[in-house]
Amino acid sequence: MMPPMTASKILIIDDDRELGEMLKEFLAPDHLDVSARLSGEDGLQALRQDAWDLLILDIMLPGMNGIDVLKEVRRSSDIPIIMLTARGDDVDRILGLEFGADDYLSKPFNPRELLARIKAIMRRSRPDEKRGGALSVGALEVDARARRVSAGGESIRLTGTEFELLRCLAESPGKVVPKEQLTQQVLGRRYMPYDRSIDTHVSNVRRKLSGAGVDNPSIRSQRGVGYLLLVDEQGRPDA
Amino acid sequence: MRSLLIRIFVSFWSIIVITIVAASALGFWYAERTREMMQNFEDSDAVMEASVALNAEGREGLTRWLRSLPGATESLVYILDDNGKDLLGRKLPAPVRIAMVRFADPDRRRRPPRHDTRNIRLARPFTQLVAPDNRVYTVFVLPARSITTRWFVDRGRGALAALALLISAIVSFLLARTISRPIRRFRESANAIAGGHLDTRIAEHLGKRRDEIGLLAQDFDRMADGLQRAWLQQTELTRNVSHELRSPLARLRVALELARRKTGDLVELDRIERETERLDELIGRILEFSRLDSGFHEGRSTVSLDELLRAVVDDVRYEFGHQGTDARIELETGAECTLSGYPNALRSCIENVIRNALQHSHEDGNVTVGLTVDDARALITVEDQGGGVPDDELERIFEPFYRATARQASTAQQSGGLGLAIAARATALHGGAITARNTDNGLRVEISLPLALPP
Repeated sequence: MMPPMTASKILIIDDDRELGEMLKEFLAPDHLDVSARLSGEDGLQALRQDAWDLLILDIMLPGMNGIDVLKEVRRSSDIPIIMLTARGDDVDRILGLEFGADDYLSKPFNPRELLARIKAIMRRSRPDEKRGGALSVGALEVDARARRVSAGGESIRLTGTEFELLRCLAESPGKVVPKEQLTQQVLGRRYMPYDRSIDTHVSNVRRKLSGAGVDNPSIRSQRGVGYLLLVDEQGRPDA
Repeated sequence: MRSLLIRIFVSFWSIIVITIVAASALGFWYAERTREMMQNFEDSDAVMEASVALNAEGREGLTRWLRSLPGATESLVYILDDNGKDLLGRKLPAPVRIAMVRFADPDRRRRPPRHDTRNIRLARPFTQLVAPDNRVYTVFVLPARSITTRWFVDRGRGALAALALLISAIVSFLLARTISRPIRRFRESANAIAGGHLDTRIAEHLGKRRDEIGLLAQDFDRMADGLQRAWLQQTELTRNVSHELRSPLARLRVALELARRKTGDLVELDRIERETERLDELIGRILEFSRLDSGFHEGRSTVSLDELLRAVVDDVRYEFGHQGTDARIELETGAECTLSGYPNALRSCIENVIRNALQHSHEDGNVTVGLTVDDARALITVEDQGGGVPDDELERIFEPFYRATARQASTAQQSGGLGLAIAARATALHGGAITARNTDNGLRVEISLPLALPP
């Protein structure tokens, strides 16, 4: 609901003060207002005090570590989160995505890449007036305009990325959507080799759906190709 | 006993002393008994009776007399004719045969008796009777049963002997066990440490032994402590170095973008960016290598090797496709294969080998990746057409930062030198083996993985 020319507020939690300063300078021309906090505790406090549009979270924080910060944030907020991980540290990356980060970048990252990710996430986290109305797949109601997913009237809480993923699949139920396309539409970037982000997001959505008691439709994987949303016409979950 | 030295010394010494004493006592006793028996026989009426029978009825009489002797309990009497045959046709026991040989040997017979009195006794264990027809009959008297049997049976000596046997068996067994059991433990621990379980310790398993083995265990544990500490420090250092190196790299990249904005695109800036990326990749590999090397692993799970292989080939194809390499990867796998392993380590292993093959391929060379499975092992082969490496360097290509001399020119631009070392570590983690050999026009790397991961 933000007027386009108003600066978006971005919070960076990273113990590297100089990096924060430089990112502030780098992102400013794109109407991104960056504030930096050096520790998880300070960051959480800042999140409570102000409204933010996006959080950039370094997983390798001294003291309270980034994963704990992430868990704490996700308890109360669906704010888009990009996390920074050590390259090659798959454990952190997968853990981070599982705990609800929207996307990740390996540090050191290309700042242009960071800018692209920020833009992609902000774009899709805004309610979309142009998109069509509600989709109904099996027991699921996916309302693209209100960015809301519900089953039997009960709303299911999804992060922006998870919602976008489910919406993509719901647009063509029963048809396999390739990973490349999902990555492009959901994460707003090209599918890269060794990238398991989509898979982790899919498993998050699956978990949330089954947590809400939804077993029809279900998300199936087509090995090596992509995913599809499968509706069982009999209304029974197939084995 | 505190000292293993004393324990072994006392055990051996006492067993040897007991054996010597017992054996000489037994020998002495035997000699005495035999002599006594012979004396008794010669002094007895028996010889006279035999002589009378021989004189009166010749060989027949002597035979009948021999047969009429009461069933032998104490002693056995053999009478041999001059052909060396027993009159009753019995098989001759060993002592008799030996005496016969000696007697029949003219040299031995004529040799004057030594001044050793025992020798003289040995030379006459028999009496001879001369028949009227001048035939000579030789009489041997032997203890009825073998001397050892007799000794055991006599007056409770049997129980004593059994006890002695039992005690010596127990002593020997305990001694053997005090030595062999800790050695087995040492072997297990040494193997565990070699297998990467650096927290293995021995002393706690050996109780409060204060002997040499106990001390050795303490030394062993001290050594393991040292190894573990050195290794932890080293791993920690590697990780910290990697992290510390990356922070400035991250700042460098942002600074680079800011510079680009201010000055516009410069070739030099592109160059700086490329080199930064290269440096970053290298740090990543060092981190990965040190992690594999450290025994800090992800969880084990069931991995579909053929799917993994396809995924990796796809990924690498994609990546190299974007770099404008013409080399192609062909995947030949009909086999399906699942094994229990560490998925990321396996992925990294396969990926690095394929990557290496591509990097070393000629412009239009093909890389062939294959998978075959038998009962116990999966074999992944990666073959390139890059000219291979000198035969005597085949082993060394799995060492970190090794560069084959023949490849110097082509690898100079490549990052790493860690790829194959990472693959080797990952293979070892799965209890497998990685080998390389030259083909007609390239290098063939084989990764052999056991389907059942050793614990």
